[in-house]
Amino acid sequence: MKKNRNKRKEQGMRDTRFASGLCLVAALMLLSATPAVANVGVQCPPDTDGIDTNMDGLVDNDNVCMHLSAGDGYTQMADGKLQYIFSYSDLTGIEDMDMALMQGMRAAVFPAPTIYLREGEKLYLTLTNVGMMDRPDLFDPHTVHWHGYPNAASIFDGVPDASIAVNMGASLTYFYTSPGPGTYMYHCHVEATEHMQMGMLGNLYILPYQDMLPDLTDLNGFTHHTNNKYAYNDGDGSTYYDVDFPIQLGSFDPDFHDASMGTEPLPFALMTDKYAMLNGRGYPDTVGPDRIATLEENNGVNSQPLNSLVEATQGDKVLLRLSNLNVTRFYTLAVTGMKMKVIGKDAKLLRGPTGLNLYYDTTSITLGGGEAVDVLLDTSTVPPGTYFLYTTNLNYLSNDTEDFGGMMTEIRVTAGD
Amino acid sequence: MIGHGKNALSGLVAALAVVLLLSAIPASAAIVGLEGTSFNLTAKAGYITTPDGGSYLSWGYANGDGPAQYPGPTLIVNEGDTVTVTLTNELATNVSMIFPGMASVTAKGGKKGLFTREAEPAKNAVTYTFVAEKPGTYMYQSGTRPELQIEMGLFGAIIVRSATQGQAYDSEDTAYDDEFLFLLSEVDPVIHEQMELGMENMVDNTKWEPVIWMINGRSAPDTMAPNYAPWLPHQPYNCMPNIEAGQTLLIRLANAGRDLHPFHTHGNHSTIVGRYGNLLESVPGAGADLAVEEFTVQMVPGSTVDSLFTWTGEGIGWDVYGHQSDINVEPLDDFPGPGDVDHNGDGIVDWVDMMPHESAADHGKPFPVVLPDPTDLAFGGFYSGSPYLGLLGNLPPGEGGLNPKGGFAYMWHSHTEKEMVNFDIFPGGMMTMFIVTAPGSGGAMPMRADGSSVEGR
Ligand SMILES: [Cu+2]
Ligand SMILES: [Cu+2]
Repeated sequence: MKKNRNKRKEQGMRDTRFASGLCLVAALMLLSATPAVANVGVQCPPDTDGIDTNMDGLVDNDNVCMHLSAGDGYTQMADGKLQYIFSYSDLTGIEDMDMALMQGMRAAVFPAPTIYLREGEKLYLTLTNVGMMDRPDLFDPHTVHWHGYPNAASIFDGVPDASIAVNMGASLTYFYTSPGPGTYMYHCHVEATEHMQMGMLGNLYILPYQDMLPDLTDLNGFTHHTNNKYAYNDGDGSTYYDVDFPIQLGSFDPDFHDASMGTEPLPFALMTDKYAMLNGRGYPDTVGPDRIATLEENNGVNSQPLNSLVEATQGDKVLLRLSNLNVTRFYTLAVTGMKMKVIGKDAKLLRGPTGLNLYYDTTSITLGGGEAVDVLLDTSTVPPGTYFLYTTNLNYLSNDTEDFGGMMTEIRVTAGD
Repeated sequence: MIGHGKNALSGLVAALAVVLLLSAIPASAAIVGLEGTSFNLTAKAGYITTPDGGSYLSWGYANGDGPAQYPGPTLIVNEGDTVTVTLTNELATNVSMIFPGMASVTAKGGKKGLFTREAEPAKNAVTYTFVAEKPGTYMYQSGTRPELQIEMGLFGAIIVRSATQGQAYDSEDTAYDDEFLFLLSEVDPVIHEQMELGMENMVDNTKWEPVIWMINGRSAPDTMAPNYAPWLPHQPYNCMPNIEAGQTLLIRLANAGRDLHPFHTHGNHSTIVGRYGNLLESVPGAGADLAVEEFTVQMVPGSTVDSLFTWTGEGIGWDVYGHQSDINVEPLDDFPGPGDVDHNGDGIVDWVDMMPHESAADHGKPFPVVLPDPTDLAFGGFYSGSPYLGLLGNLPPGEGGLNPKGGFAYMWHSHTEKEMVNFDIFPGGMMTMFIVTAPGSGGAMPMRADGSSVEGR
């Protein structure tokens, strides 16, 4: 439990204490169709509404501020291949633009830094376009598309055709309320086929209000305790978990990446992925926190910091937040040694409109790009040992031509006391 | 890649501007097709085109003497109807029709085939009858060499309307304001080229590899051209619905292709109430109590999904209509008067009324950030210049222009982004724009690129 929170700290990036930034009480005129415009950097207004909207007992910490760069960088595939990518990098806490450009250039991270919020929090997400250092011929804008945000406003939806995208050297701050618990995802939507194949993809999820209930609250016969965690506001404790793991499916076509690095024509329609990954790594890198050294080519930033090793103590309920953001195909996942219970799809608790329980047990899950499910693994009767989460598209259990790898990770169950 | 991508992006805008100059975007969301209980279809050949300049021999069902259509005419019938389809064949090979999901299908005339009776070239027609027992979204397709003939274009959709008007099914929780069809398909041009060259014996389905992806028989940006656009004689169906905020759109999805497609609706989840023409109910009479909300609908080959989509802007956290009346604005002299209330509970009486369906909690709340200087931004053709719904803002010269009512534009597309290209040109493929306009705006955007208004078809 503790470990997971630490991991979350390191991989997600949020800093609610970071409260300086610009004062945003812009003098908006009635029905003025264009709000205030300025040369702006990071925008991170303090939380002054006096209301504890995230229900953690504090009234002044409900604004979450993040600062991401968008640019290029390098990853290393599990067979050793150096892979050129586009993605985001974490600049949270950096306000100075020269510093942001310096730290963000050629420092992309794949998957992109994990975003998570608590229900009731507001996210001010500043995106700084640092440019593609190793493609000086490119002047691409970038965006953030929060995939699955309900009732989205097109200005913050990140589709360049529908609104705005931010040019090189500039910053744009997106604003989101937390629209309900569950597993979402985010990606760049500029030239989506290209920027997404190149790696501008990340995990995003929201924690429910139910986590913050007072100790001993009765949930229809289930007794809530402080620090209990749930996937959703289920009202009955049925989505309780001990440890959770955001795991994003993705895959790369090395020919496309090489063509991009070489400034050659890009093979769009014939794109064929050959590196199938979980959280930006192929097996066995998926289980090794330290296996991937920080690449010299990536400005000293570890470009693949997120492993997919699922560790649990026997008896734990394990929540897998599975999302798929590859751009070429569907993948099916299975686990050995235990069954999966699907409790949510697309950031919605699996309940019908009248409350009918639609959870289901399964041995495989098929996800296309842009789909997400929340899966519970109950390890109470699972003997200690090592199990696997892997794709049943078995030809993708490979890292390009190297067999035995690809879209697979381990579930290590240890004995309880 | 900007050299390529930016050109393609401005290409989309340019192509659309041409489209809009020539004709109107359809006024709202409605399914265009043939209504009735008796249909005369003819299988014939024609050429479909793609936005990258491609032109491919195709086969399609035509409405009587009309042009071959890709997809075939959408047949719109009513629940309980006994439907008759008479198929005449002007192709040089046997063709037929099958109606998956329909009851009591019979075939008369023609010649016995593997799946059903077939119409032989230049011989007597085959007459199919079936009973449209249950409301929902269905497809029809060729039952003769389907691995070739459906690729060539012999497929179409059937809409069975519920006995209760304005509902997808016989259950009031499936009510809608507008409906629209999204019929998905793929094209492998190699097969079409081989057929044109008379090399049918060379067609190898093990090498099938689509590089063209379509909705309603068109690849983006042609999806956004009007219905019956004269420059698309064999691809008559548009795919650019729009609704007003608060209205409910019934999305009728159907996958006539052979790959799975994840269909992503930007802007909101949709609520799936039916699959394969079946209301998602636990027991008869329960209503759609098995409905689920999804932001990406997994479209399996041969599947149909009926899903309800609405958009109100609720929960955004700022006033999406730009009613920033509570800050820095002096109220009028007669304020507060009757009807002036404190909608959002901030203790200040508002003097700007709420829009229908507007979220009271967000009424009057300021726009949350300062937008960068225009020189720091790239603008989309569908950006009105304002982040507020129904309002227009200043845009640099030459930007915007496709959204004269200040709607919110959402991309609806296959989230297998590889399918959002026309060959190697992005954007394109299985993609379109869906637009939400403000309540009372007419729910539509009949317009020309110069902003002048024209009547919808
Ligand atoms: Cu990008
Ligand atoms: Cu997406």
